[in-house]
Amino acid sequence: MTLADALENLLPPDSTLRLGELQLSRSPEGSFRAVHSRNRDSMERLEKLESLAELREMAKFDANNEYRPLKTAPTLKCGWVTECDEPAEFIKRLDAIYPGLFATWVAYDAGKLDPVSLRTTLDRQTGMYRFAGTINDQMANEIMREVCSPGCIRKIAWPIDDQCAVSRIKPHKRFIPPVCTEACTFAVSKARELVKKAYDKANAPDES
Amino acid sequence: MPISKPDSALLILGHGSTENPDSSHPSWEHADKIAATGQFGSVHCAFWKEEPSFRQIWPMIEEDEVYIVPNFISEGYFTREVLPRELEIEGHNCERKGKQIHYCDPVGIHSKMTDLLIKRAKEILDPGVELSATTLIIVGHGTNLNKKSVEAIKDQVAAIKESGEPFGDVIDAYMEEAPFIADWKTLTDSPIVIVVPFFIADALHSYQDIPVLLGIESEPTEAASQRDIFRQNPYAIEGRTLYYSSAIGTDPSLAEVIVDQVAYFDEHYRS
Repeated sequence: MTLADALENLLPPDSTLRLGELQLSRSPEGSFRAVHSRNRDSMERLEKLESLAELREMAKFDANNEYRPLKTAPTLKCGWVTECDEPAEFIKRLDAIYPGLFATWVAYDAGKLDPVSLRTTLDRQTGMYRFAGTINDQMANEIMREVCSPGCIRKIAWPIDDQCAVSRIKPHKRFIPPVCTEACTFAVSKARELVKKAYDKANAPDES
Repeated sequence: MPISKPDSALLILGHGSTENPDSSHPSWEHADKIAATGQFGSVHCAFWKEEPSFRQIWPMIEEDEVYIVPNFISEGYFTREVLPRELEIEGHNCERKGKQIHYCDPVGIHSKMTDLLIKRAKEILDPGVELSATTLIIVGHGTNLNKKSVEAIKDQVAAIKESGEPFGDVIDAYMEEAPFIADWKTLTDSPIVIVVPFFIADALHSYQDIPVLLGIESEPTEAASQRDIFRQNPYAIEGRTLYYSSAIGTDPSLAEVIVDQVAYFDEHYRS
């Protein structure tokens, strides 16, 4: 099944679906539309965005014009709409807003994308991130609590280590779960920061 | 070089940035330009510090054959270690979960980069400027961590000199190692100096750091002012005339170099 087939199955004609902060809808005739969920009832005043470049630019900054390096941060701007007829083109437009989020769900739900534990991700780092893998479980929880939970709409599907059990995220009729199958660069950076902080504290000169 | 690979995907790899909104822009522009030609079944980008990340990209690609072109300036730590590790690929040709993967050389080492540097240097000059009165400086980051990036620039300088283009002189200079770009006034003696940054994007180095080292800005400016840096040419500094270009990676012709790396791959590496 192609990604376009998967989209048509999940979003049949005359239906709606949530994807993160997006409200996806499909007309009875089959054309696709995406808006910010806060704009789902106010279509008239929305700016039409039709190119991938326009959508990427919209998703690049929040309402305060702050850069959004993490596209699944819960800060997507309102005030726009994108519409098209072809499912493959619509997936490209979704990817311009949430890169890979739809494809990740389809692969995860089909059992073709196994989550990678946080320790596996951190242990393979090199260069300036090579010590990130030495975090303890308390630090791992701090990453999830301070970076992932408030800063991203994705739902964590990865365990801290390969011995931990983690529940599989289940499909839902009303929304596509925004799934996170592996810790991102922000989590890796936070791990490095916590390790460095602990090292500096342990090796601080004795002032007594 | 015109090629037609409707059953293959093209994946362009970039560094990206969690701080600079312009870092990934050239890669996306090149990708959109190549996608519009229809030469590939699909064209994707993936980044180290942005999304889609190298780890997120595979579910997005549906073709069974994938050409990967690193939009990096040189071979080295990233192209030889980080990118293959994160993408779970090995060597120039491999199979990954049923897909045939072709890992091409980075754009920066393609021979066409020489033509691109020459073109960029000439196009920022005012009409009537004699090339023989100029010194062209190709500027890079320079660091002990990646000797390959310095080698790539030295190779380009040698190639430009051999090209027969009548620049008065062509030299290399770096931000963080000798010869330092900050010493451009003593490194050159021509009345006109052209500086072209050998970087992939107009990130902090090309619109903030290097302008300060050149003396055309007194302190790093905000990102929003970056376009002005390149629009104010030429700069008159201590009796010399300085032309400053945007990063070579922002040249629209780089899209052709990306496709040329695929063609080069088929000629030299394809198994």
